[in-house]
Amino acid sequence: MPFLNVKTEIAKIKKSFHMGCDFGERLLTKEQGTVGFVYLKSMVDNLLFSQSIYLPLEKFEGDLNATVLTNKVIQCNDVRQIQESEVVDCILKGGVVLIFQNGDYLNVDIQKFPSRIPSEPPTSPVIQGPREGFVEDIKTNMTLLRRSIRSKDLVLKSFFVGKYSNTQVVVAYIDGIADKSIVDKVCQKIEKISIDGIIDSFYVLSFLQDRPNSLFKQIGNTEKPDVVSAKMLEGKVAIIVDNSPIVLTVPFVIFEELQNSNDYYTNHHYSSLVRVIRMLGMLIAIISPGLYLALELYHYNLLPLNFLITIADTAQGLPFTPFLEILFIFLLFQVLYEVSLRLPSYLGLATSIVGALILGDTGVKAGLISPPGVIIVALAKIALYTIPEQASQVSVLQVIFIILGGSLGLGGLVAGMVYFVNYLNTLDSFGTPYLAPYSPRVPEDLKDGVFKSPINDMKTRPKTFKNKNKVRSK
Amino acid sequence: MKESISSRQLGVLCAVSIFANKILLLPSLLYENAKSDGLFVVGLLFLVDLLILFSFFHLKKKFPVQSFKEILIYFFGKIVTKVIFLAFAVFFMFKVFLIYSTSFIYLKQQVYQGEFAILAIICVLPVINHAALTGLRSMARTIEMFFYIVAFGFVLCLAISTLTYKSSPLFFTSSLGDFASTAFRHIFSFGDYLFLFLIIDKVTLTQKDKKRVLKYVFFAIFLVLILFFLFYSLYQITAFMHNNALSDILIFSVVFNAVGRIDIIAMLTIMFLAIFQMELFHYCFCDAFVNFLPKLNKIFAIVTFDIFFFIVYLMLIGKYENMVIQVEVWLPYLTIMLNYLLPLLLGLFSFKKKSVKNQQIIPNDEEKREEKGMSEEVKI
Repeated sequence: MPFLNVKTEIAKIKKSFHMGCDFGERLLTKEQGTVGFVYLKSMVDNLLFSQSIYLPLEKFEGDLNATVLTNKVIQCNDVRQIQESEVVDCILKGGVVLIFQNGDYLNVDIQKFPSRIPSEPPTSPVIQGPREGFVEDIKTNMTLLRRSIRSKDLVLKSFFVGKYSNTQVVVAYIDGIADKSIVDKVCQKIEKISIDGIIDSFYVLSFLQDRPNSLFKQIGNTEKPDVVSAKMLEGKVAIIVDNSPIVLTVPFVIFEELQNSNDYYTNHHYSSLVRVIRMLGMLIAIISPGLYLALELYHYNLLPLNFLITIADTAQGLPFTPFLEILFIFLLFQVLYEVSLRLPSYLGLATSIVGALILGDTGVKAGLISPPGVIIVALAKIALYTIPEQASQVSVLQVIFIILGGSLGLGGLVAGMVYFVNYLNTLDSFGTPYLAPYSPRVPEDLKDGVFKSPINDMKTRPKTFKNKNKVRSK
Repeated sequence: MKESISSRQLGVLCAVSIFANKILLLPSLLYENAKSDGLFVVGLLFLVDLLILFSFFHLKKKFPVQSFKEILIYFFGKIVTKVIFLAFAVFFMFKVFLIYSTSFIYLKQQVYQGEFAILAIICVLPVINHAALTGLRSMARTIEMFFYIVAFGFVLCLAISTLTYKSSPLFFTSSLGDFASTAFRHIFSFGDYLFLFLIIDKVTLTQKDKKRVLKYVFFAIFLVLILFFLFYSLYQITAFMHNNALSDILIFSVVFNAVGRIDIIAMLTIMFLAIFQMELFHYCFCDAFVNFLPKLNKIFAIVTFDIFFFIVYLMLIGKYENMVIQVEVWLPYLTIMLNYLLPLLLGLFSFKKKSVKNQQIIPNDEEKREEKGMSEEVKI
């Protein structure tokens, strides 16, 4: 039987942690032998350590070996014997490693670190339906999923990514529904990630996308467990990343953004109406500033006479051209938005007053900007938040369409629309066309498109992407 | 099957491909010689177009998986095939020029109120180049997505125009000679279904699919015929002066003036249709070009097209009359050869030959194309 100098071994491990100030070490010397404990004080439940590991061991009179302690002494659930090579990894994950003189190592997982309680996510509040949201702790997130789908077929595959961060990434899917080729592709892509650290799920998202440079995201994301569960029941695959409350889902189609969890918990007629409004909102957000410019600069004869007179009246004496005016107002709104996001909440009200009243009202009165210009840009900026998940992409599109409308008129806007739809048609997410079920048209999936059918009418899973077991209900 | 499209998408492409100048300039051009009988000229030429469609169906049945190049080589040999592809390239290039020219004049008069040459080129060229580069599938999907909106716009224009309908036009006023010469002179405005042959290997057609395609085709033909009828009803004597049929049939709809000029619906419909048609024919040009010069890839085809576009633009575009005068001399002959003779010959030959199912006539043709980087799926 090999004899290990426990003290030397602890010193060696401590050295590998660069003598970190939160490195914890204890030595228990008894007649039967010596046991060493190594852990990170910042990562373990210190109370549990004392009460469930150290004290029972101190009182124990029998042989000090890994097997006996695992079965009889240590009062924790997650105890397992490990190899010497795993020691550092286990400590980093919040385990206490016990070192025995006979060369055995035992890991007791008693990790504990500050974690949020699941609460309603600020980005997706609902009127009816579950209000829980994911948190930063991956274990809690897995629990939330397990609670929704209590099936042995819910598979959670774990990966550790990041040279320094060693972040846990979990791929979740329902065996028997999700297509294996999609699951395999996701796992392969995660395994291939080579990076120093994963700080948020967005880091993983960048590696999963086929066209990472594209303006349009090709992966779905949500903070709500009910949404992820519903998507997994359709055959999608979820990717949970430790330290991030955002869970990714694949495959993704852009019309998913039109859907909101609230739609499924209210009357389907109302849901359809809301979806139409969201789509209109999105269109207004993207093209209204550009369209206003095109009409004002090139096609003023298309406007009703009274409206034209109002615009002409207000535009008189403005120092900027209409194109620069709209760009200036757009910039003003964007700056206010960025400021309101980052300022402490007690300053938010003051910012709103300064922004909306002083800058807007005074700007108009001073003859720097025109009221129609302010209204159009404000309308576009408000309409943007009918689909908040797309706000960043649509903001960029707004600028592009302002330039197109201002420089090329209606023709530019039409050409821009055709170009972008054509571009979106070249994108796909794990083999699923980005604009499905409208382009290509998949009539069966239109039941959950802009117009929504009742749940009991949706008897099959979506055909736009691969999945097994097409039947949802009979 | 690479770059394959669905039968619905094929139907939509067929529907979209017959619009453009047929809904703008052609009604007034036909009226010049054939008067209101221009409606029958269109009807007759559509019937001939339908023959191309049926000949395509027949060819597709005989050669379910083969590309057009393989079929042509099978029937005519390599050299003739090259000549045919050159003719296709020229035909489609001039089709794009004609569509551009028509919509350019319309937009200049109605939308931009003045010279906007460079603006129009900036609007059109990048979009159609991008569509040709990204391939048939994404283009067909894009057109499919917009089709219902555009069709709705078209139907709305017709519906609004019926409100001002007074009496039917006078038919059978032109002589048979005028009728025939008008049909011949403007035959190049038809023959749009020629694109079908170039994409023969990119679609699967069952009997049900054929019916679906025909549904879209008849729907589009019906709309065009209704437009001609309404146009000639509205402008019984002055039709030859109205160059923008779809837009002009809305002019008397004064009840809608409260919401501004209602012809914005026609403008948007025309803009979308013109771009879609140009995209489709530009793609066909590139395909024919690559088949004509297999050593060059699609990028070369696009650059060549753009160079010719600028040359022809400087010479002809913007002056539609010049454009028509120039192409009237030779384009009808080319149209007849490609649109009517070629399908007829292919149909006749294929009757004699047995079906070539699932058998590649020219081995490794597709592999050779891929090796040269001419794969359809170009990622940008």
